[in-house]
Amino acid sequence: MLGIAVTLVAAIIITAFEVPKMRKKKLTKELWTFLILMGMAVGLGIAESLHLNIPNPLNGIRMVLQPMSDVINGLLK
Amino acid sequence: MENVKISARQLAILVILFSVGTTILVIPGSLASVVKQDAWMAAIFGTVSSFLVVALYIAIGRIFPAMTLAEILESVLGKWLGKFISLSFVFFAFFDASDLIYYAGNFLTTQILLYTPIEAIHIILACILLMGVRLGLETVARAAELFFPVFIFLFVLLVGSVLLTSDLWKLQNLEPILFTGIKPMIRAVFIFLSSFSFPLIVILMIFPSSVKQPKKAEKSLFIAISTAGVCLTILIILTILVLGPETSARQMYPSYNLAQSIKIGDFLQRIEAILAIMWLITIFFKMVIYFYAAIISFGQTLNIRDYRPFTFPFGMLVVVLSLYSHPNVTHSAKFDYEIWPVYSLIYGLALPLLLLLIYGLKKYIKHEKKRKLPLE
Repeated sequence: MLGIAVTLVAAIIITAFEVPKMRKKKLTKELWTFLILMGMAVGLGIAESLHLNIPNPLNGIRMVLQPMSDVINGLLK
Repeated sequence: MENVKISARQLAILVILFSVGTTILVIPGSLASVVKQDAWMAAIFGTVSSFLVVALYIAIGRIFPAMTLAEILESVLGKWLGKFISLSFVFFAFFDASDLIYYAGNFLTTQILLYTPIEAIHIILACILLMGVRLGLETVARAAELFFPVFIFLFVLLVGSVLLTSDLWKLQNLEPILFTGIKPMIRAVFIFLSSFSFPLIVILMIFPSSVKQPKKAEKSLFIAISTAGVCLTILIILTILVLGPETSARQMYPSYNLAQSIKIGDFLQRIEAILAIMWLITIFFKMVIYFYAAIISFGQTLNIRDYRPFTFPFGMLVVVLSLYSHPNVTHSAKFDYEIWPVYSLIYGLALPLLLLLIYGLKKYIKHEKKRKLPLE
């Protein structure tokens, strides 16, 4: 619960702090990128505080690199 | 992109702190587990071979004196492939930053702040990280200049107090020399390089485009690498002298245990705090450089001039990633041992070599075309 609250409060403060500046300067692309990133951060933050099973990017990296690592470790054994 | 410029000396200091970074606390253990008492030789060989890696980065810097790595990728590999690879590079740097937060949080919660929830430490670390990045590279570089003497002073104090307590260390711990054979040695050098010099690829986001005197900076890069290498070698020798190869290999933070064992008379004790401070200083700057590189290359990949609006969302992401990327210490240790060396090899060595190769080929083809044209 605390995790969700912290995530939301942080997100609201940051958005309130950054968005008006970007709107004033009419930086549309920046604004959209910011909102997408912020959405990702909030989503992941809430999922993490609920201990949901978020796909771990490291597992993807491991899947790609494991064969190479095995080859190198085999050579240097 | 606003014009931030740091001096060659500031770059050197940043590189020293960056390379000492995590290596200081973790590497003695993982080297000792591969080559036992020869770990210090692996560090020396590693430092010498880092010169080649740095020379490679300097070569790239010379070809593209006004570009950062993200821009180089785009100009050499074309728009789409370049953007794709530089986004994957963003993730590489970003993941490193989160991994460092994880390291620092893990170290603090297991060794010093035993009852503090790890989330609190991660959030506080991320806050100072964001502060540094928002204030910009120049401020960070000046802070590094301020902290560097502190780092050197603490390092000298640590080394001095180990050497003064002569009953602490045994020269026999270093024997027999060169006993482990050539293959484990190559492996150890590879592990050393993977956390000492390959990550320096992110320096290409700063050097040479944000450095005042690139020519002078080239020399100071070499000086920085050798200084950092000497610091690490000394520390590894001390760790093995005091703890012996077996204990060094078994401990998670051998250099911290080394500092714990120092006791001069009854008045100089608990030196380990020195090591913790040193390590927090270096890891902070390492974190900042990774994060800065990630965020700058993100901005440049999407053709966005000011990176500052993205620091906060990125900061939230870095906290979340640092909290869930490693479910436990074993996962982290296994990742560092098996995957990390290859991961950093790909970005730190394969990518720059590929860039040079493609650049050379393109130039050659252009040259050939020019030569043939007048004949037709």
